[in-house]
Amino acid sequence: MIAYLRQFGTLLGLLVIVVFFAVQLPGTFLTARNLINVSQQISMLAVVAFAMTVVMVMNDFDLSVGSTASLAGVLAAVLFAQGFPVWVGVSAALGIGLVGGVLNGVLVAYLGILPFVATLGTLTVFSGFAFFISGGATIFGRDIPKPFADFSRQGIPLDWLGLAEVKLPYLSLVAVLVLLIVWVLLEHTSYGRRLYAIGGNIEAAHLAGVRVRRLRLSAFAVTGFGAAVAGLMYASRVASANPTQGAGLMLDAIAAVFLGMTMGKEGEPRVLATLVGVLILGILDNGLTQMQVDSYVREMLVGTIVIAAVATSSLGRRG
Amino acid sequence: MTDGLEFSGLTKRYGSATVLSNVSLHLRPGRVHGLMGENGAGKSTLIKLIAGVVPADAMTLRKDGAEIAVTSPADAAAAGFRIIHQELNLVPQLSVAENILLGQPLPRRLGVLVDWPELARRAEAALAELGIDKIDVWQQAGSLGLGDRMLVKIAAALVSHKGEVAPCLYVLDEPTAALAEAEAEKLFSVIARLKARGAAILYVSHRLNEVMRLCDDVSVLRNGQNVMTAEVGHTSRAEIILQMTGRDVADGYPARSARVAGGEVCRVVAVSSPKLRDLDFILHPGEILGICGLDGAGQTEVLRLFLGLERPKSGQVLLQSSPAPRSPAEAWARGVAYVPRERRSEGLMMRMGTRPNALLPHHAGVWARLAPERTWANDLSGQVGLKSAGPEQSVWRLSGGNQQKVVFARALAGNPRLLLLDEPTRGVDVGAKFEIYKLMRDLSDQGCAILLASSDLPELLGMADRVLVLQGGRQSAILDPAGMAPNDLLHALYPATEMS
Ligand SMILES: Nc1ncnc2c1ncn2[C@@H]1O[C@H](COP(=O)(O)OP(=O)(O)OP(=O)(O)O)[C@@H](O)[C@H]1O
Ligand SMILES: [Mg+2]
Repeated sequence: MIAYLRQFGTLLGLLVIVVFFAVQLPGTFLTARNLINVSQQISMLAVVAFAMTVVMVMNDFDLSVGSTASLAGVLAAVLFAQGFPVWVGVSAALGIGLVGGVLNGVLVAYLGILPFVATLGTLTVFSGFAFFISGGATIFGRDIPKPFADFSRQGIPLDWLGLAEVKLPYLSLVAVLVLLIVWVLLEHTSYGRRLYAIGGNIEAAHLAGVRVRRLRLSAFAVTGFGAAVAGLMYASRVASANPTQGAGLMLDAIAAVFLGMTMGKEGEPRVLATLVGVLILGILDNGLTQMQVDSYVREMLVGTIVIAAVATSSLGRRG
Repeated sequence: MTDGLEFSGLTKRYGSATVLSNVSLHLRPGRVHGLMGENGAGKSTLIKLIAGVVPADAMTLRKDGAEIAVTSPADAAAAGFRIIHQELNLVPQLSVAENILLGQPLPRRLGVLVDWPELARRAEAALAELGIDKIDVWQQAGSLGLGDRMLVKIAAALVSHKGEVAPCLYVLDEPTAALAEAEAEKLFSVIARLKARGAAILYVSHRLNEVMRLCDDVSVLRNGQNVMTAEVGHTSRAEIILQMTGRDVADGYPARSARVAGGEVCRVVAVSSPKLRDLDFILHPGEILGICGLDGAGQTEVLRLFLGLERPKSGQVLLQSSPAPRSPAEAWARGVAYVPRERRSEGLMMRMGTRPNALLPHHAGVWARLAPERTWANDLSGQVGLKSAGPEQSVWRLSGGNQQKVVFARALAGNPRLLLLDEPTRGVDVGAKFEIYKLMRDLSDQGCAILLASSDLPELLGMADRVLVLQGGRQSAILDPAGMAPNDLLHALYPATEMS
């Protein structure tokens, strides 16, 4: 009973938050329009958090996701500004995410640098590089091609559901797609189970025939790629790119995974649980903004909730 | 009034499972009390209750007739209990000296500064009491071998400082599982001394010989109940085994039924490596080659030659006539299975279930298939006699011996062609040991070659076709065990000059 409560306490917390805002903001919070809006607002964070889950399954971290996202957005925008077509900019952005991830993977898995140190280093390198190629300026306006910016403004019509006035945004759809891919990868492939084994005991996994270095490298590559996807989504959404716009994503993504980990049977990260974490953070943000709570109060609240959730779950785990 | 310690009504439940029910024990001063039982019978749990590390559902404790309460490790220490738990729990980053005095106030200079020389002196004194001088007390505990770590833990339980209650009870949970014969002897003489001082000793072991020799009384737990308490002189091996298992169990070694075939599985030619010298042997299909030596003589390294983890500097290691695997992954893929020495640090993912633990090296293809794996894991559990609440139960919740069976199940699963076993039956109970020996026999009858490193000399003599003896990393002999007694083998472990 207590075990169930602990495992589903976080889910319960999400429910409480939803009910709270539904009561506080009658007529505006629980509307199709607002919920669709939330889904779009959280889509970038969601993608980064899902990607982060992949490395955190192995007990690793990637602190560089935020600056990878910025770098990807800036690189695409710079190429657009030079007149390259959309597909070139997008591929280059995704490519640099992959390269950055591989670099992290090499540092961590092959050179044996602690993930915290290695990705802290690449965080500053990527961010410096983004400043370097953009000249420190924001790239916007005519430089951003219309089809690229329009992607985030369009969606699938929902009139067949009787919701004529809203569309399901493509950005939300991308997030769902990434969720699906990561879920299949982690829960339904041998690859995913080997990642969990590495997280369980890296030495034992190695001795049991898991190719630890190779897998760790590939997992960091997946995370870097995911971060680049999020960076492109962000750039499309604001129809501009600057070298710091992804910076806020990293801490929130880690917080979301931690919130999710409170739901694991043995405290392990699960991507569906990460989704719950993302929803908690995203809905809090949306609701508190509508209630016109100051942003610093919001930050204090979010921090407190993360600590409280993790603390209760580790209290319950004792004995 | 009765003297000594009386524990009564010990009860412990985990969820709906009753692990101990209403167990009573009377431990008398100056006597060694053996505690036996199958894996998962509740021995370690009983000790955790006595030690105050897990809360009891019920427990009454009388010391010399007066009731006392033990609900925390501090209470246990205050009552004069000294406890050595089954799992090795040293702090690997700290020095041996600090580990030995962990939990004691450190010696001080000027009230605040740690008196390091005094610390070292006390640690050395504690080790000396065990007759050990080869361990450097400034070494990090994490760099010690398994046997040495156990000795350090024992030494830590022996030290006491002024103003502390005189120890009245020593509890040892399978202390010899990690010890080589010679070190075990030292431990026995220490136990004899403690006994002479009038302390009570509770001694858990799966080794019947030890219990028969060392203990004055013996109790047997079965499924969490005390089914027998008797003076050792008034009972017998057969009686104890019957009480433990509730059935007649063969106690011994299954005989070989098929002959060792011709051909070769692996060949080691004049190999020297950082830790090994002059290694030379051929292993035939179906053959069991025992490997023995004193603690740290290179047993583990010989096995690791076939995992790419110990690289030869000269000579050649061949597996089926091609060069030996260069990584554990390649080794498993080529039909080599490995049971590492330390199940917790090298073998198991403690927070995962028995299924993922047992089947990890055997995932084939891209997709995970859960249902057939569950069936497979259940089959394996049955074969090794695993006692668990199902294939998804986290391994850390299993008893020590059952954890060992999970590691063995993993090696069994892939129908290996070469099986590398490093102390495979450590902590496994008598009945299950026999089952594991039978599985080894079956595999070898089917042509699987086995390298069996073990410090259990009777086990080597009972199972191996030949025994390779290592002295400080050097192959000193390959012996034919036929007609040998454990003592003959023991003598072979020491360099000739030390024999007088
Ligand atoms: N934390 C726990 N949660 C659930 N079950 C547990 C837990 N700890 C122990 N058990 C169960 O209690 C039973 C007794 O375990 P215990 O460790 O006392 O056995 P043991 O007699 O010491 O066995 P061994 O000889 O293998 O060391 C086992 O079935 C085990 O699975
Ligand atoms: Mg035990």
